[in-house]
Amino acid sequence: MHALATIYFLTLRSLREAVRNPAQEVGNIFVPLFFFAVTVGSIGSIAADAFGIDNFTGFQVPVAILSAASSISSSAGLGTITDIQRGYFDKLLLTPAPRSAIVLGRIAADGVRALVITGVIVVVGLIFRTGFDTGVPGALLLLAGSFFFGMAYSGFNAAVALRTGSPQAAAAGGLLLFPLIFLSTAFAPKEVFADWLQVLATINPITYILEAQRSLIIEGWNGLDLLRGAAAVLGFGIASFVLTYLALRWRTS
Amino acid sequence: MSAIWAEGLTKHFDEVRAVDGIDLDIAPGAIFGFLGQNGSGKTTTIRMLTTLLRPTAGAARVDGLDILAEARAVRRRIGVALQEAGLDDIQTGRELLTLQARLFGLGGGVRRERVDELLAVVDLEDAADRAIGTYSGGMKRRLDLAAALVHRPTIIFLDEPTTGLDPVSREAIWRYVNRLSAEEGITVFLTTQYLEEADRLAHDLAIIDAGRIIARGSPAEMKASIGTDVVTVRVAAAEALDRAAEVCGAVPAVERVQVADGAAVVYVPDGARAVARIVLALDDAGIEVGDISISHPSLDDVFLQATGYHLQVEEPPAAEGGAA
Repeated sequence: MHALATIYFLTLRSLREAVRNPAQEVGNIFVPLFFFAVTVGSIGSIAADAFGIDNFTGFQVPVAILSAASSISSSAGLGTITDIQRGYFDKLLLTPAPRSAIVLGRIAADGVRALVITGVIVVVGLIFRTGFDTGVPGALLLLAGSFFFGMAYSGFNAAVALRTGSPQAAAAGGLLLFPLIFLSTAFAPKEVFADWLQVLATINPITYILEAQRSLIIEGWNGLDLLRGAAAVLGFGIASFVLTYLALRWRTS
Repeated sequence: MSAIWAEGLTKHFDEVRAVDGIDLDIAPGAIFGFLGQNGSGKTTTIRMLTTLLRPTAGAARVDGLDILAEARAVRRRIGVALQEAGLDDIQTGRELLTLQARLFGLGGGVRRERVDELLAVVDLEDAADRAIGTYSGGMKRRLDLAAALVHRPTIIFLDEPTTGLDPVSREAIWRYVNRLSAEEGITVFLTTQYLEEADRLAHDLAIIDAGRIIARGSPAEMKASIGTDVVTVRVAAAEALDRAAEVCGAVPAVERVQVADGAAVVYVPDGARAVARIVLALDDAGIEVGDISISHPSLDDVFLQATGYHLQVEEPPAAEGGAA
């Protein structure tokens, strides 16, 4: 069976699972939007004076997007664990479908879920007058970026799930992104950070993903920012694919 | 060509020798029973033969294909229903079979026909569009069997297909398995911890204990190999059991005595005649008989003779079972 067809059918299966379990999706969207509202509500009015950011609502939209992607990926790890524990993962491995495609099916579904949630967050942002400086093409690029980031980050959780088979470890894997978000320019520009935090934010790939997303929303087209963001997503993707591949090999050896 | 062939097949998990150099040679179309207790190596053997686990050593061919070098081709030829019915509770039965058929490359009309046909074979037409999570244990097992057959495999592996099922569901599974072999010529590799199941279904049988095959043959051959009747003697006072075994062993014509599960198991050619002599000998020795019975050899006796203990069946929790 062709790998792409396998990925397609298993992506549909995972999306069907998401549609039939709407409570989980509501949680994935509610929590990031809650923090988005609280952050904007608490420091939005001082952001212009304190950080020099006029559109702090737009500045925060990417943080909500990445938080949502993290929640989605965490639940994806748990989905893989459930498949393993029920024996359904073995049933898939017993088909002639390429094994990496079996894992990629669920990961691709997470990319689609991240894309949909990004769309919802962008719409909420627009309602709160964030604007979108790069217009429809920029919005489409943002959605595409979210799709790939959702896939890349989901790969880490799939790797943890495959290697450990533990729901607790899979849930913890989903939280990996939160320290990276806090050590990035999530809430303020780098220039206002202490020196040590500036260093960490500079080497943190999340910083570049946030800046690429922000450029689309509040700055206009910025090739360098977009290139850096794409490189960061690609780096995440390569690392997560290698880890997932190794975890899958371990599970079937 | 053998349907399944293995030589020196071995799997170690660190220090544990789960499967320790087994040889197999199973004829096409046969129902092969692999009998053993939990932890004896049955499931590990199946997982290696079905390409889910890499062997530590040895070689195996399934339908003439090497399980390592031609793993994907092997998976096209085999159907597998593992011990835990590997199903997805959120999908419906029809969706699960359809996805399975797609992953095996069945297209459009053929796929729909095959799914409908299998749902009818396993009597799940009425429940086909319900979520699998609402199925009983027996229904799940039947759906799992259907999923294993969706691509018309030439060999099917069933890992304890009836463990935890009620008698009605068990009977239904046995009926399907017999039909697969008799009507479709499919080779069936069946692991079980049920003696009755092995006796009823298997044309050929191997007993596995601690990762090694310790007996092999058809159920009839195995029982005949004992060559005697079996007299089981229970004594009134448990502390007299070893002495009772000694006394029984001295009775003329007795070939062998084993002590197992609080009884002396006496192997003797003509059990009916020997019973009286055994009772008299025990009486002379001052040992009170609690119970005595005579039987023709069963697979349990074969298992006892080969391993030194009776087969202990471990049932899963009640929730795993369920009506058909």
